[in-house]
Amino acid sequence: MRFFGILLVAMFFALIGEHFIAPLAPYGVRVLLMPMIMFYGALALPLPGMLALAFCGGLMWDALSTNMEIVWSAEQMKVADINVEVALGWSIVVFALLSGFMSGFRPLFQRGRWEVHCLLSGVCTAIIVLAEYLMLTFRREPVLLFFDHEVWWRIGGAGLAAALLAPGIYFLFNYVAFFVGYDPQPARGPVRTR
Amino acid sequence: MNRRIIVPSVATFLVLTLLVLTLGPHKMRRVQSGFLGMISPFLKTGSSLDKKYREFRDGLKKLDELEAENAQLKVANKELSTTNQTLRGYEVDNQQLRKALQYRERAIFTLKPARIIARDASTWYNKIVIDRGFADGLDKNGDQPVLTETGLVGKTTVVDEHAATVVLIADETCKVAANVEGTREQGILRGERVSNGAVPSIGLHFLSKQAGLKPGQNVLTSGTGGVFPPGVLIGQVKEFKARELDGHATIIPAVDFTKLEDVFVVIGKKP
Repeated sequence: MRFFGILLVAMFFALIGEHFIAPLAPYGVRVLLMPMIMFYGALALPLPGMLALAFCGGLMWDALSTNMEIVWSAEQMKVADINVEVALGWSIVVFALLSGFMSGFRPLFQRGRWEVHCLLSGVCTAIIVLAEYLMLTFRREPVLLFFDHEVWWRIGGAGLAAALLAPGIYFLFNYVAFFVGYDPQPARGPVRTR
Repeated sequence: MNRRIIVPSVATFLVLTLLVLTLGPHKMRRVQSGFLGMISPFLKTGSSLDKKYREFRDGLKKLDELEAENAQLKVANKELSTTNQTLRGYEVDNQQLRKALQYRERAIFTLKPARIIARDASTWYNKIVIDRGFADGLDKNGDQPVLTETGLVGKTTVVDEHAATVVLIADETCKVAANVEGTREQGILRGERVSNGAVPSIGLHFLSKQAGLKPGQNVLTSGTGGVFPPGVLIGQVKEFKARELDGHATIIPAVDFTKLEDVFVVIGKKP
């Protein structure tokens, strides 16, 4: 429970920290820290913890990025309606599906392996960016589904950055877990028990 | 893990997710505003730390340089105050004359200075966060123009007590009615879905095919639509293309979004 709280707080501050990381030139690739911590949580925590992290992560993510457009009434300049681009909560669904996928590799992670999981963190981060792009593309007029090199770079670049940073994040949180007395890799063998 | 834990966890997750997904737009806005309020103190602290770091990195200016700069700023401040006073006088005269001629009175705006505390971290949106909210006089509903001395920046969207999100004109969702200086051409300005953060390309749509715009012509807000006041510089024409049904121009924004630090929010009555 204590480790879950640490991961949740870390996700919150990672989301804030992302605001101060400039997009990588030349295609504006973003370094997304928060999903990486969430995916680590999906591997380190049992199902209830994984779902709770996906829920909180998706809610925070949408609370920051959901776009709304105000429609003013012509006569009195009062708010007549609010058009929502993508409803609050869709990221929770995407995050839960991807965390569930990552959770499927938990037995391997518990045995002390995390190379594949780092690569999968990158793939899943890229899928988040792709899902976001698809969702807003199908909501906006005109529906233009184009995939030029810049779009691919933004999707793939975010995944690549995540895959490169994932070992560091996994290493850091494995140590944090060790200090709070939680063992995310109980089947690791003699190295952990020494 | 046994079913006694899995089933209730999944059921609780599904119920909560459904509850969030079915929230109405006003409640969604309240959630967004609340979350912005929650993170804004951290963003402000982060922003000031970031500024201090950049100042430290750039090196401290020498005392005589600072004195010279201070003297220059004092002179500039006096000049601007005098000009402002004169313009206020003209504004009153203008309103009186419009009244005498039975023209519709133009709304008088005031500018609220604000500092940028964060740039949006998402991949597909162009937004910034400023350190002013409804406690500082901003409209809770948002949609107030944001500009700098060089031109239009965007409009407010989510507004919290002491912070607000501003969607930039480089974003596809920020549409601005615009006209081209020296012509009768009017169009709708809209950012591109994927545009490079350094030099965003903004499109001016629905122009006439015969517009024949030249590079360098100024593009200004037309005031149509009720959000942006008329006559604010948006940018310059980069190129014009006549398409099958209409004309389309690419605009270079007057404001360099990468170097933005301070902005003004236009508060007051809608035009």
